[in-house]
Amino acid sequence: MKITGKLDRDLGTLKQLLPAEDILTFDFVSVKGLAFTVLFADPITDKELLGEQVIRPLLHYDGKPTAEEVGRKITSPEKRTETDLAKLSEEVLAGNPVLLFEDMDEAIIVGTKKVFVRAIAEPSTDVAVKGPREGFIEDIKINTSLVRRRLKTPELKIEFLNVGRRSQTYVAVCYLEGTSVKQTVEEIKTKLEEIDLDIVPDSSYLTHFLASRPYSLLKQIGTTEKPDIFCAKIAEGRVGILVDGSPIALTAPYLLVEDFQSSEDYFVPPYRATFTRLLRLLALFVAIYLPAFYIAAQLFKLQLFPVKLLLTIAGSIRDIPFSPSLEMLLVLFVLEILNEASIRMPKYVGMALSVVGALVLGETAVSAGFVSTPAIIIIAFSGIGLYAVPNLIEVTSVVRLAMLLVAGSVGTYGIILLTGFILLYVVTTENFGTPVLAPFSPIVGRDLRDSIVKYNLGSLELRPRTLKSPNKRRLGNE
Amino acid sequence: MNKISQRQLFFLLGCVAPVGKLVILPARLAANAGGDLWIPALFHVLVQSAVIFCVLLLAKRGKSFYELLADTFGQIIAKILSVLFALFLLYAALLPLLEQQIFVRGVFYDTLPSLAAFSPFFLFSAYLCAKPLASFGRVWDILGPMAIVSFAGILVFSATNADYLAVLPVGSAGLKGIAGSTALSFSWFFDSALLIPLLGKIEYKRGAAWKGTLCYLAGGFAVLLFLVTFFGIFEGTAGNQLFAFTKTSKYYSAITALGRIDYVFIFALALVMAFYSALPLQGSIDCVLQAFGKKRYLPTLLSIGVNLLFFGFTVFFDFRFNLAMEFISQKLFWIFPVFTVLLPPLCLLLRRKRHESA
Repeated sequence: MKITGKLDRDLGTLKQLLPAEDILTFDFVSVKGLAFTVLFADPITDKELLGEQVIRPLLHYDGKPTAEEVGRKITSPEKRTETDLAKLSEEVLAGNPVLLFEDMDEAIIVGTKKVFVRAIAEPSTDVAVKGPREGFIEDIKINTSLVRRRLKTPELKIEFLNVGRRSQTYVAVCYLEGTSVKQTVEEIKTKLEEIDLDIVPDSSYLTHFLASRPYSLLKQIGTTEKPDIFCAKIAEGRVGILVDGSPIALTAPYLLVEDFQSSEDYFVPPYRATFTRLLRLLALFVAIYLPAFYIAAQLFKLQLFPVKLLLTIAGSIRDIPFSPSLEMLLVLFVLEILNEASIRMPKYVGMALSVVGALVLGETAVSAGFVSTPAIIIIAFSGIGLYAVPNLIEVTSVVRLAMLLVAGSVGTYGIILLTGFILLYVVTTENFGTPVLAPFSPIVGRDLRDSIVKYNLGSLELRPRTLKSPNKRRLGNE
Repeated sequence: MNKISQRQLFFLLGCVAPVGKLVILPARLAANAGGDLWIPALFHVLVQSAVIFCVLLLAKRGKSFYELLADTFGQIIAKILSVLFALFLLYAALLPLLEQQIFVRGVFYDTLPSLAAFSPFFLFSAYLCAKPLASFGRVWDILGPMAIVSFAGILVFSATNADYLAVLPVGSAGLKGIAGSTALSFSWFFDSALLIPLLGKIEYKRGAAWKGTLCYLAGGFAVLLFLVTFFGIFEGTAGNQLFAFTKTSKYYSAITALGRIDYVFIFALALVMAFYSALPLQGSIDCVLQAFGKKRYLPTLLSIGVNLLFFGFTVFFDFRFNLAMEFISQKLFWIFPVFTVLLPPLCLLLRRKRHESA
């Protein structure tokens, strides 16, 4: 549907396309008699800016009645012409006012959208003692500017797409041309274009459509809230995805090892980074296996405990009315509830929750003989261990529960078999042609330098081979 | 994921020898050959190394076992021979599986548990067998280093308590004892047959044949070292010590203070053994699929069928392990050399037929 140049008729068509009451129109006439109408969505348009940069200059316009000439008079830096009425209606809904002129077959769109943003702050899910503290926010323009500020190169490509039938959410695909694999970029763009969703409230909605195994328990798309990590991943050859309205950026291909790395690892000496990564790995194993082995040992193989420890445990569990697995499940259940409540509860109730959790539920339950002290210690240790790798909590908490159930029913051999299942599942999972467990399976010797072990920055002269970047060298001459 | 890389193959070859021979075999050899228990093992390791070299030479041709047979004998005979080989792999799988069953029930539980303790293995195996054989390769990138570290850990823990001179004098069992032990241990050394289904799926690079053989030899010599250590610890009572690798390390001095920390290695090896025990089943299914094509549900159906059959065997032989072991390793032991010593070198004689390029 093209603009006819008849102001009343064009306005009527647009009003039909946009019947909402908060879509306002105002008619003006310039000093030289040029009649024009401005159409905008009231709640999301910056009217002050519209008046200052658009209406006021046009009221004094005395030049030729062409879109090009008129456009020059508008002082807003964001402006462009459009002839399609359907597209104009989309722009109005996005917060960009539209100017229609009498006897002109082009309309002008100006970028005076009202932006409601919170301040850039350190993300609560990814806190670093050393290194940058900026985090993404909900506005895609600010997020892309945070990326652009760190990658000042023409090779950085940011391609915008609209996803969501009704929300028409802006999605930015960011990559370094010549460094990212072209095929991966195209695959991601195709997958995003094919998404047929009503609305996209958050980037997590897209992960389901980007994953090669959508119903998998395993995470398949990387996430980060920090622009420094996002840029570092793009610079390694990955493709980044920013979604308007979401502070969580996505990266692909995803490797499991990414979640054992922290941005801080790159700002501390390599031996310290290696130590903390090993610690995270160990914490994860403890979180998953410790409760399961404790139950399996108690039920099926007491020999696993050293004699003195066995005597202590025997003394603690003597009068407990529940079976070891039921007792452990009970404590785990309480921990999960406390965890969930502490996230959702208003902050001022937090202290009360700690008191109830630690004293009432913990201390009293032990003295009443409902649960044993070792069970609480083990679940507490496991709970803390889980948070050493925060990005994997969703997966590991489910795996821990599965391990507990298997240990309680089949014992140690069940734990071993479930480990085998998980291992087989993980090694056969790929996303965008990249094995999730690389560089451990398949072993990629060079990439092991920045896996659990962290080499000195000088030794990481090449980009990870796993990501198959066409631009292999990152240090020295390319 | 469609091919097994050279490194993954080497890990597999380095691990199959130690992993499959640590449970019952050491006690059986010690009972029959005494201090000479290492001699039959050495014989088998050397023979299997030579055969594995032949199989790896075959792998160079880049064709599957079925394709190699079909090029020479035509499709019908190739199908028959493939099924025959698949049946042999099923037969070969029986002893390791029954062995694994009594190992699990004897080592992982204080009291004798119900049959249900081992039955989840068949769920795991069914899942594994339904996957393409080549995807198995990546698992060995994890299992290989895990098995090496665990086996080395057990050896280190055991070595301090072993009297290595106990195996002297060499030849004390006499020729009859050594020959008898060699014959009965054929059913444990079928490693070369495990490679046959992998033909055509190996990413063959220059020198892979001799490098792979060396890996197998290294694993084989680790077995010999373990056997000698085992006998050095238990000497006269070695013949009664089932589940050898779980017992040799328990006398390590640190264990009294820390508990059975050697169980970490034992659990890791048990995980590797679970994959190893399912390997012949997976190979057998793959041989059938090579011959009859990968129809939509065929891999899953075969996997379920084979694992149900073996679950039935474990129920049947629940308290008759010795009967099964004697039948396989003493009465029908001759089947093993036919398929694992004679057949692979004979395959080298199969015709090299060049496919017309598309």
